[in-house]
Amino acid sequence: MIAFEDHFQMADTGRRKALELALSRGGDFAEIYAEYRVYSFINMEEDIIKETAESISLGFGVRVISGEKTGYGYTNDLSFDSIRKAALTAASIADSEKTAFLPDFRRAPRSEDRYPLTRPAHQASLQDKINLVRRAYLSCQKSDAKIKKVKALFQDHVQYVFVANSEGWAAEDARPQVKLVCTAVAEKDKRKEFGFSGGGGRVGLEYFGQTFSPERIGREAAEEALLLLEAVEAPAGEMPVVLAPGHAGVLVHEAVGHLLEADFNPKKTSIFWDKLGQKVGSPLLTIYDDPTLPSFRGSYNIDDEGTPPEKTLLIDRGVVHSFLQDRLSARLMGRPLTGHARRQDYTCIPIPRMSNTYVDRGQDDPEDILKSVAKGIYAEKFEGGQVEDSGKFTFSISAGYLIEEGRLTAPIKQATLIGTNIDILQKIERVGADLSFGLQTGTCGKEGQEVPVTDGCPTIKISRMTVGGQS
Amino acid sequence: MTETSIVDPLLGLAERIVRLAKECGSDEVEATVSYGREFSVDVRQGQIESLVEAGSRVLSFRVIKDMKTAHANSSDLQEETVQRLIRNAVSRTALGSRDECAGLPPLSSERVDIPPLRLFDPEVAKLGAAQKIKLALETERIALEDKRITNSHGASFITNEVTTVLAASNGFLGTYDQTFCSLSVGLQAGETDNKVEDYWVSVDRFFKNLESPETVAKKAVVRTVRQLKPRKIRTQTVPVVFEPGMTDWLVGFLFACISAVAVYQKTTFLAGRLGERIGNKNITVIDDGLMPGRLGSRPFDSEGVPCRKTTVFDRGVLLQFLCNTYAGRKLKLPTTGNSDGTGIGPNNFYLLPGNASPQEIIASTERGLLLTRTIGHGLNPVTGDISRGAFGLWVEGGEIAYPVSEVTIAGNLEQILSRVEMVGNDLDFRAPVCGPTIKIGALTVAGE
Repeated sequence: MIAFEDHFQMADTGRRKALELALSRGGDFAEIYAEYRVYSFINMEEDIIKETAESISLGFGVRVISGEKTGYGYTNDLSFDSIRKAALTAASIADSEKTAFLPDFRRAPRSEDRYPLTRPAHQASLQDKINLVRRAYLSCQKSDAKIKKVKALFQDHVQYVFVANSEGWAAEDARPQVKLVCTAVAEKDKRKEFGFSGGGGRVGLEYFGQTFSPERIGREAAEEALLLLEAVEAPAGEMPVVLAPGHAGVLVHEAVGHLLEADFNPKKTSIFWDKLGQKVGSPLLTIYDDPTLPSFRGSYNIDDEGTPPEKTLLIDRGVVHSFLQDRLSARLMGRPLTGHARRQDYTCIPIPRMSNTYVDRGQDDPEDILKSVAKGIYAEKFEGGQVEDSGKFTFSISAGYLIEEGRLTAPIKQATLIGTNIDILQKIERVGADLSFGLQTGTCGKEGQEVPVTDGCPTIKISRMTVGGQS
Repeated sequence: MTETSIVDPLLGLAERIVRLAKECGSDEVEATVSYGREFSVDVRQGQIESLVEAGSRVLSFRVIKDMKTAHANSSDLQEETVQRLIRNAVSRTALGSRDECAGLPPLSSERVDIPPLRLFDPEVAKLGAAQKIKLALETERIALEDKRITNSHGASFITNEVTTVLAASNGFLGTYDQTFCSLSVGLQAGETDNKVEDYWVSVDRFFKNLESPETVAKKAVVRTVRQLKPRKIRTQTVPVVFEPGMTDWLVGFLFACISAVAVYQKTTFLAGRLGERIGNKNITVIDDGLMPGRLGSRPFDSEGVPCRKTTVFDRGVLLQFLCNTYAGRKLKLPTTGNSDGTGIGPNNFYLLPGNASPQEIIASTERGLLLTRTIGHGLNPVTGDISRGAFGLWVEGGEIAYPVSEVTIAGNLEQILSRVEMVGNDLDFRAPVCGPTIKIGALTVAGE
């Protein structure tokens, strides 16, 4: 990885020295994390390219673990003096006579590259990226006279990371990330509605030619806003809910995924802490988290502790099969690493996080699932959700339909669904054979750290759930 | 105040960026450099869980050439990188579009005197690690003494010191220092599958104003245990009383709807409605950047415009959108000193308190919901629609009867602002965007 070495000059001896300082107070484990990230950003609104930006994030973090305690220091001034200070800050968490032995560094085993791309965005010209933004913008704007306001944004970055630890492992990764999104406001008879679409992932610009064209992104944003102009108030109360394939994976992300992130489990604050091997949901429900899916927004070659990630079975036919682990949680729980330690950037301590989370496909025909509902809600698009450790969660529908007598009828306005995870998981009645993933534009926030993720699911029927509409 | 040995290099860098960008051909340029020092300790079950301490510098700037704008920011402050970013930004302007509203504000002749704003507490900078750790441990220990508390998310003590420097080609040069400290604890009560949780946090610029470990712990305990053994309720439309923390998010949503960027982009239902009555007479909303010691105060905004006091709503009438220079030019309105980075941010943005005590407000409610917590998103500025997961206490005959969970509340901001029947006297500026207890005449609460 020549590019990274260019940006971040530090010889093996410097790294060793930093780790030695980090262990100088007798910590059990030390790690250094170096990051260099270059972003570009383009914003089009009011028919003009309003803004372009370039952004650089460079920094170095040192972590020490002593028992269950973590010390962390970081700096973006890469003089050895500052690195020494960060290392000694992290070291201060420990207080023992133990002397550390540092083995020689060896490279962690690496898989094949999960970012197969032909036109890296960080090497493409700004003009090429501006053209993509214009195409999405114009496609959205001209799709209907009721579209009154359009905004199109393009963002790309490449993030070089280097991790080395006191066990002698060293690993590095160069992670591309691209995102093109379009938002639309449609207006009719003084009523305004908002629409959104977008695409991207750990891909190059070829993606917008092959997989998801800017024109389609623009058109989809317009279509959502136009649809909502016709939407009626969502009903309020308990009723059957059918989750559309794709975006509805966010429900699983909130209701299950977060509570299987193992940092909460040793503390016994998560409702799942004592549920390993136990049945918590319908036998129709199988959930995976897979950071190895090629080109996906949430994927990586190594996690932010340098561990090669694994496709992880979380729920196996309703039974809790495993948790998402980082080094600390895996040690405290006596479980194997899964490669799910992630951090927003060098200022943050890594914690267990999801990557690409999805419900595995089932057997049912999606049409049959709809037909089984006399009156309910079809939840199609979501603007996000939230969960707390006790298992209470919400997620917000931004677009959906009423189901009446087994058919989709009127589109509905935004509504919130609320439930308790174990209750909802048991009420999963049907799972379709039509697995798909939501937009490659999502970000998940936890403890103030934002990381890119995706979610997916097939058509799913939940027999009863509280819907918070106004009518 | 921060030593000159820290401030001088920041001033030097900001001025150098302005000079270099001009030399590279930019017409106007504005550069911000900040230096932040962070300390945070999390403790749990009587032990330190994590401790983070660091200092970091970041720079950001924008250049304008031929009425075209380009931005950049970096945490890499090496001279070579800075020079490259400037050259890139100036050449990027050629690919942008000409925008008649682009550009810096004219240099203001007014300057806000900084010391009376009381943004910086030297005591925060002097606190030792051991004392901060002790405060967090003490807070958690007191909370766990209550036998109804079954688990702890841990307690945290955090301090931040930030030095901000702004230099611009219009001749502006300014700097200020600020401090923040916070003490918090998160708790759980109840058994394995019937847990409830909540937290309390005290935040202030001044260490001496921070709530004591006893107060933080007791508030967190009360907030947590009052939710035990919740009931479900039927879907109905009832009066809903918002606790101050709940009014905070409502006021925050209102801010998103009166931000001039959203207004010129037409992504708010309040676009084009200046001068109209939106709420009832109970709705007076102020943005004030000059309140001494408050969390949202600052002498100048991110464009160097002096901060001020702006009445946004006066007894229900929308008087003013909050602007930066760009959005102000778009709307032909003056800037209000609300520029924040590349967008618009609140200073101290609050709903003016009324006369009723929170107890009186609850006592006036025959049947309804006291809203104590929400989760989820569900705020749409384009329509004003609100739909969120909610937790609260059911009120029956003017008294709190039992906790309620797994409900949602839904309504529309404009409707809500016209239905605010009572406004409490308990505004405490715990957050820069805030409000007192309020009572909404009717809101849909969805349950069974």
